[in-house]
Amino acid sequence: MAKQKKLTRREFIRLAGLTAAGATLAACAPKAAPTGAPAAPAATEAPAAITQAPAVSKPTEILHWSWLAASDGEVWKQMIDSFNEAHKDKNISIRMEVIPEEQFVPKVVGAAATGQAPDFGWGTAGLRAKMIKDGVVVPQDDYASKVGLDLTDFTDSSLKASRYPTFDNKLYMTPMDAMSLQMEVNLDHVKEAGLDATKPPTTAEELMTWAKAMTKMDGDKVVRSGIMMTGSGVQPTVTWGIVARQLGFLRASDDLKQAAINPEAGKEAMQWVLDLFDKEKVSTRDVTDRYKAFGNGEGSMFWTGPWTLNGYVTQGLNFMTVFFPNVGGELHTYFELGGLEMYTQKDQGRYEATMYALKWLSDNCFLWTTKGRGAAVRKSVLAQPDYKTAGHPWEVRGAFIDGMKFATEGEIPVLEAPNFTIYSGGNFLAKTLETVWVGEKTIDQAMEEIQKQWQSDLDKG
Amino acid sequence: MTTPASLPLWHSVRLRMRKATWNNQRIDWSAYVFILPFFIPFLTFTVVAIIFGSYIAFNDWGIMGAPQFVGLANFKEAFTDEWVVKAFTNILRYGLIIVPGVTVLGLIFAVYVNKRWYFSSFVRAAFYSPNVVSATVIGLVWVWILDTQFGLLNKYLNMIGIPNIPWLTSTQWSLIGVSIASIWWDLGFSFVLFLAALQEIPRELQEAAEIDGASGMQSFWYVSLPILRPTISMIVTLQLIATMRIFSQVYMMTNGGPAGSSDSVIHYIYETAIVRFRLGYASAVSLMLFVVILIVTFIQQRLIRESA
Repeated sequence: MAKQKKLTRREFIRLAGLTAAGATLAACAPKAAPTGAPAAPAATEAPAAITQAPAVSKPTEILHWSWLAASDGEVWKQMIDSFNEAHKDKNISIRMEVIPEEQFVPKVVGAAATGQAPDFGWGTAGLRAKMIKDGVVVPQDDYASKVGLDLTDFTDSSLKASRYPTFDNKLYMTPMDAMSLQMEVNLDHVKEAGLDATKPPTTAEELMTWAKAMTKMDGDKVVRSGIMMTGSGVQPTVTWGIVARQLGFLRASDDLKQAAINPEAGKEAMQWVLDLFDKEKVSTRDVTDRYKAFGNGEGSMFWTGPWTLNGYVTQGLNFMTVFFPNVGGELHTYFELGGLEMYTQKDQGRYEATMYALKWLSDNCFLWTTKGRGAAVRKSVLAQPDYKTAGHPWEVRGAFIDGMKFATEGEIPVLEAPNFTIYSGGNFLAKTLETVWVGEKTIDQAMEEIQKQWQSDLDKG
Repeated sequence: MTTPASLPLWHSVRLRMRKATWNNQRIDWSAYVFILPFFIPFLTFTVVAIIFGSYIAFNDWGIMGAPQFVGLANFKEAFTDEWVVKAFTNILRYGLIIVPGVTVLGLIFAVYVNKRWYFSSFVRAAFYSPNVVSATVIGLVWVWILDTQFGLLNKYLNMIGIPNIPWLTSTQWSLIGVSIASIWWDLGFSFVLFLAALQEIPRELQEAAEIDGASGMQSFWYVSLPILRPTISMIVTLQLIATMRIFSQVYMMTNGGPAGSSDSVIHYIYETAIVRFRLGYASAVSLMLFVVILIVTFIQQRLIRESA
């Protein structure tokens, strides 16, 4: 039997050193070329109604980051799968990675800082001024024209919202769908309260009548909200934002020079929100998850967006969607435009391929805008005869589409845009308003702080 | 690959390394190889990060572009920022609830298991198991347990005539709600340490106390507790530091609200750095937290030493 050789200390060190060096070299070795798409001949013909895929000599895998993780994410995945299916022989494919929403922007910025940003991702119109200034998001005008994206087919409002006046009014996002906040109403509660579902509330008075009829109390406590609210976070903030606008409050002047125009209207809206809890007693602060609460029947009327449709329809909730009521005198509601933005790349040759993918997804957005999330922003899609019959029933989807005409409360496209967002649960606005909702500060104090901060934000450009 | 030309140099380096001494003793290089797998990540992700963070605290920086030196402006702003003040006050309040909660309950449960009373094997597993669950799961579960209208806790409280408590939705209760979840989560750690310490107490000491006529309570108070003092000191210190760095529960359960009533400093730092991209300002607040933890730990250690 052979004598077993002992490993000396010196040999051990040498071996360890070699292993470490090997591991380091392996880690530093360049990555293999993307192989997501099959090694097939260059693109020949693109599917009907779209232009040809860019002639790429080697397989191009486009990296897409998405934060859509709810029921809308499932439909978006179908869209990406459709693109890959349509391009399986064309040397181009999309690899989608889902990033949690709250980590999305930090990760994109961090990746861009190290030269490894994804090719494209989901964006919200008006919120990217800082990323544009830092060169993270790139303009799309030139590439759109190169790949033949027909910008005249987009609604004016979607294009306007995707451009940034402070950055040469360039297009920084391909609009995909427009969203508004409308009112979902639990039809079981309507029936139970003996209300007529064909005549939903349209004014402040009617709204309050409906809310009181459907609210359930246990002694002095609201146990089922006529109007679904939470004591803090997004819901009271966005409600304030919409009602304030209806009453004539403006977060910023059109020229983005003056902040908080007509503060008295803003104060009145704060009082209106407070009254829902304390005076009218149609809402409770004791709701932790508004989506689940409405789905569970803890609330009767809930202003929310089209991203909830897929979930509630699948769940079998008996509800309808109607326009956000005119509480303040002039009908307005929250507006959000979702779209696809391109991020800075070391290899600028990738932009054209990415823009081609964006064009394809925009041209084929029928599924996305009937079943996925918001209203179509392509005139050709809106004009399709089956647009109203496809996807979710019109009773739950229609208000989100027809209501776009009065959806005006979008983002303020300045560097500090997040401070102005009314659809937020943790930004400066939400935090300041929360102090009013919990009684820590007076309405006057809060409005004074808002005016001061927003003016300083606008002054930054 | 080693080339023939570089061989003499390599030999000379090897020779020098072999002969290298420290305090007249030959250096054993193999020890350094063993610590290398820890040392490199520690250097990269802790030491370098601390140095860089300290540097950034005096700058205005948002990841992209070069940092701009602003001197003490970030610290000046932090001292007048009402949300920072609120967050620091909150972590002290968390400390006042969670640290005694975890320490006292951990000790009680450890004594229970150590005495091998009923179901002690089951109790041992039950008390420790929350500690191995992730903070995200803890947060999600407790949001449901503490729900005002449909939560389990309120349901049980209703049975004994206590009305619904808005554990997570009111400024008065949110900090307590988060603390309850934190105590439940952290209890396992102190429980295990106490149990180990109790099992180390020599049996003869307790027997001697019994012979001298000491009751069970007296034996625990005058024999076991003094011996447990170092363990108590360690648990209080570690738990205090952990509590001052509370984040996951806050993030998952209340997001710091309502109106910052349950916000913690780390959560505020996260929001400032990651959501608002104010890395310089967030670093300044981080340094302030570091100093506060240092001072509180120092005071607490002195108090325990003096009382011993």
